[in-house]
Amino acid sequence: MTTFAATGPSPDHEDPAVTVSTTVNGEHRTMSVPAHRTLLEALRDQLALTGSKTCCAEGECGACTVILDGHPVTSCLVLAVEAEGREVTTVEGLAPQPGELSDLQEEFLAAGAVQCGFCIPGQVVAAECLLRANPTPSTAEIREGMSGNLCRCASYERIVCAVHATAERRAGA
Amino acid sequence: MTEAPPRPAPAAPVRDHGAHREADPHDDGVAGTGRAVGSGVLRYGGAERATGAQQYVADLPFPDAAQVAFVTLPVARARITAIDTSAALALPGVVAVLTADDLPQPVPRFGISHQDRPVIADGEVVFHGEPAAVVLAETVDQARAASRAVVVHHEPLPGVYTLEAALAPDAPLVHHPSVRPASGPAADSNVLDDAHYAWGDLEAESARADVVVENTYSFPMVTHFPIEPGGTVVVPTADGGVEVYSPVQHPYLLQRVLAKVLDLPLTKVRVLAPDPGGGFGGKQNPRYEPLMAFLALRTGRTCRLVHSLEDTFAMMRRAACRIHARTGFASDGTVLTHELRADYLIGAYADVAPRVMSKGSYVGAGPYRIPAVRIDARAVLSNTTPSTAFRGFGCPQVAWATESQMDAAARALGLSGLEIRRRNLIGRGEAFVRGECPAPSDGDWLESLEKAAALIDHDAPRPPGRGVGIAVAIKPGATSGLSQSLVRLLYDGSALAYAGTSDMGQGARTLWQQILADELGVGLDAVSVVSGDTDRVPFDLQTSASRSTVFMGNAVLAACRDIRAQVLELFAEATETPVELLGEGPGVLLTPEGELPLPEAARIALGSLRGEFVGRGTSRMRGRSAHPLGGDAAFYEFNCTAIEVEVDTDTGELLLLKHVSVSDVGTELNPLQVVSQDEGASIMGLGHSQMEQLLVGEDGVIRNLGALDYRIPTFKDVPVELVTAAVANADGPGPYGSKGISEGALLCTAGALGAAVTDAAGVVLRDLPITPERVWRALHDQTD
Amino acid sequence: MRYTSPRSADEALGLLAEHGAGAKVLAGGTDLLVALRHRTVEPAVVVDIKRVDDFDEPVRVTDDAIVVGPTATMGRLAELEEVRRRHVALVEAALTVGSVAIRNRASLVGNSCNASPGADTAPVLLALGATVTIAGPAGERTVGLDDFFLGPRRTACGPDELVTALHLPRPRPGSGSAFQRITRRRGVDLGTVSIAAVLGPDDDVALGMGAVGPRPLVARTRLGDHESTAAAVEHLVAAATPIDDVRAGSDYRRAMLRVLARRALDTAARRRDEEAA
Ligand code: FES
Ligand code: FES
Repeated sequence: MTTFAATGPSPDHEDPAVTVSTTVNGEHRTMSVPAHRTLLEALRDQLALTGSKTCCAEGECGACTVILDGHPVTSCLVLAVEAEGREVTTVEGLAPQPGELSDLQEEFLAAGAVQCGFCIPGQVVAAECLLRANPTPSTAEIREGMSGNLCRCASYERIVCAVHATAERRAGA
Repeated sequence: MTEAPPRPAPAAPVRDHGAHREADPHDDGVAGTGRAVGSGVLRYGGAERATGAQQYVADLPFPDAAQVAFVTLPVARARITAIDTSAALALPGVVAVLTADDLPQPVPRFGISHQDRPVIADGEVVFHGEPAAVVLAETVDQARAASRAVVVHHEPLPGVYTLEAALAPDAPLVHHPSVRPASGPAADSNVLDDAHYAWGDLEAESARADVVVENTYSFPMVTHFPIEPGGTVVVPTADGGVEVYSPVQHPYLLQRVLAKVLDLPLTKVRVLAPDPGGGFGGKQNPRYEPLMAFLALRTGRTCRLVHSLEDTFAMMRRAACRIHARTGFASDGTVLTHELRADYLIGAYADVAPRVMSKGSYVGAGPYRIPAVRIDARAVLSNTTPSTAFRGFGCPQVAWATESQMDAAARALGLSGLEIRRRNLIGRGEAFVRGECPAPSDGDWLESLEKAAALIDHDAPRPPGRGVGIAVAIKPGATSGLSQSLVRLLYDGSALAYAGTSDMGQGARTLWQQILADELGVGLDAVSVVSGDTDRVPFDLQTSASRSTVFMGNAVLAACRDIRAQVLELFAEATETPVELLGEGPGVLLTPEGELPLPEAARIALGSLRGEFVGRGTSRMRGRSAHPLGGDAAFYEFNCTAIEVEVDTDTGELLLLKHVSVSDVGTELNPLQVVSQDEGASIMGLGHSQMEQLLVGEDGVIRNLGALDYRIPTFKDVPVELVTAAVANADGPGPYGSKGISEGALLCTAGALGAAVTDAAGVVLRDLPITPERVWRALHDQTD
Repeated sequence: MRYTSPRSADEALGLLAEHGAGAKVLAGGTDLLVALRHRTVEPAVVVDIKRVDDFDEPVRVTDDAIVVGPTATMGRLAELEEVRRRHVALVEAALTVGSVAIRNRASLVGNSCNASPGADTAPVLLALGATVTIAGPAGERTVGLDDFFLGPRRTACGPDELVTALHLPRPRPGSGSAFQRITRRRGVDLGTVSIAAVLGPDDDVALGMGAVGPRPLVARTRLGDHESTAAAVEHLVAAATPIDDVRAGSDYRRAMLRVLARRALDTAARRRDEEAA
């Protein structure tokens, strides 16, 4: 007979909370989190910013993509405490005003990119970063640059269209 | 006949922003050609999804909820001898630990095909990941810590994880005979169910055959991998009932199952189904909701469980399949006989897998004119994740074999893959399933074949190392159904549709919005659609089998027309106009003075008391008990896929240069959504064709658990050029001649890819997925 | 688990000395956070070195070498003009690591310290003859990367030590390099086999190999010492001991080693010649 008790109780739940001050979507925010808490968990649970989604929780899907100090990162692989003093932009911070859409978000809709929508916040954040780094990407560059963002509805071609359309729109603006 | 043009590849991005936002009821006045239906209306709820405002189940706030964690064992099958919860209960924040002993005895079982699944493992776990106990604590961290502190004393038992092992004469039984259905194959084997279809004189036709090809094919276990893993929240209500939040495709089925297991009336079980973040069949059927409900009722706490992606690997998958095929042809390529033995490897509980087996294998002979056919299919239990519905529902498995057989014969006879299909594809109205309940073709499928062939430039010469493959397949739509809808036209000209269809990405609500806009003459922006709440929305059987466009679509249409009739009647009364002088059409009331926009007519009719019109629509299709599927399919999804590939013969790597998918859609109610669905299904098809497979170890534990080693297609795996096109002959049973379209494009992806690889590199692959390693191995074996 | 964020290398070393094996260094976190999630490590203290301000610059370019600090990310490295000029193969390898978002976090040094047998950048670093500086209680020492990798997830860096820099010697004039790998899909993936070749001016070859042994490997030879390139390749890959796992069979890996080695050599030679021209 085998007796099994996985790995025994872990002390995780006793980790002391740390206060983290950060700027999220332009606003100063303070969170109180244990050290093991990821930035993704803290954004969702502490700040109620649930636009960033959890899928793989290990950097493989991009659903949790946020902008940290100007660069896209998978927030499931960042500890919340690491964001101390840093600037975070989530999908909620991309539209010019609450209730409005950014040009890129509009193009996502227009291209038919939004199916179930679960991956879309991460896609929009990643695509926004891509366009900031490369305002006129080729199809190959979009596919390469976005390849960390999985979409099981496989809106991939639609998203490529949306990024092209946004690039054109911005070039014309 | 109308034909939709091929869609632009991304080199010429579709630019359509902001268009089609307003429906003009005076535009032309013919149903189905109004401004909304038939145009690329933007997705209902799309803005919320693009901004992150859309709340999926894990996003819903339940501040007082206690959190749930499962206790699982590191083995696939084991007898539980004792569970020691004391250490766990002593940990901070722990509310309760629930095991089978805490449930009514015997532990209630539920299921779709039959009632085999216990609410929680009852004395034995039968697949890896099945919970042996469940922990409730104040926080997720506490729940997880406590789940690790629960000690489960258990004895590992031998399990079966492959077809070979499950079918061995002395195989351990996955199911105790007591939980087997009374009918069905021998209870002392792991064959849970079987299906047999046959017609024609095999012997006589075989005698005429000039070429016979006989091969065995395999299709792997694949998992749904929804980007939203999902979860469940159960809130106990003051009246002893439950409110259940779960992103399920079939809220009414979940309600029924819960009511039965909990012994509650339907009115005390309210299912609120937030939109699933991808379903693909994996979120149809109840799994852990009953357990969560017991936990909530027992503790009086709101119980919340959010799954990890890894959890979903133990919750949902497609049945693997091994298919042995023997197919006879005349020298001109005419197929004469087709014999298939398809063994579907299902999991440890039946779920809906027997139906997947019988419905999938029903079209095992493909959309061809074959005089003699024999199909024998079995659903074989194993100690693995229970398999369930998955886009394509058992059809991609058999299509892989049948399409590969067609190509094998074509090669033997010196014909192209296109030509042999041309010669055998069934014409409209001809039966491709013969016998007592024949199934006739309901489309011009040859048209799709020719269109795909033209788009891939099938007969063009290609340089060495490149090849092309073309394949076709069909899938039966729903064989029975019931959808009920309510539509309210309000005094101010806005309208509400209540439709229980789950909007999991296919964009169902957008279609209802379009239909209301055209039929009631209201602006798209004035339409709201309510779904996902069994207390507020009338019954819908389920969201599956691409049925919703047809079933719920017709119900919504009927409800709109009911309103028009009511408006006419009340208008007559209010204005003292003889009814005979009035008429109605899409969006308008016809009066002696001319056309009146329907909302205006409604306002006049309602008068100073105001109020509203409530229309009801029901779409019901009863099955036929004599039919092997329980009824004729409402429609067939037909698809032709063609792929051009380049093979790196040193490494076995494939470069997909072009992928063409042509679906027979009846009518494109929303071309933008059709494109999304077709492209999405095409790429999902490439997943199981090229890279996806669950690898189960000799101990029954999944070896590639999680996103790191279970690979699904990414942006870079999209073919260089992806072209989808539709054949739209308005010949479907849905509104305006539409058909369901959500699955077609993945039915025969594997066949097209396999044929293309053979054309390019001269090797034949019969096992999916066609990985670089497998291609290399085939090339390597060939040169040995 | 406690989080610490030392401001100096000494402070970081102090924390490591204090907690020994109970401490884990956090640079990009792309390996550590996955390990934390799966509980394959359960540190008492995490030492985040990103706020240490007395490390050498993240990337310092000198005439003889490029010195990469412990927090320099793959993304940053692959962008730098001088890195692109000197070490094409390193850029190629770095750009296969994860996605854009991962490369914005993952540090080259951290990835090396993780010592995954399949790390995509390890073969090229080995082939380039990289060395690491390890700081510890007894001061600093320099270790060749080939001596640094001990086994799966094991390195010569002790629990109380910290890798403070990785040195990439400047390639001799007339060298060429290339990186090649096989994956199960085209998008982001772990390498089934990865290879880097560095070809020197007198046809001396260093071949780095990943995912074909318990640790990343390097082999060296001179093409002229062999009858043919194929024979040289045979010699180079002889040390590999690939295994069967979920990603591939050992025979496929062995075969791909040869194919990729050949391709990498050819590309490196072409690049060398182009540069000469
Ligand atoms: S959830 Fe962060 S990458 Fe998947
Ligand atoms: S839209 Fe569903 S996962 Fe991307």
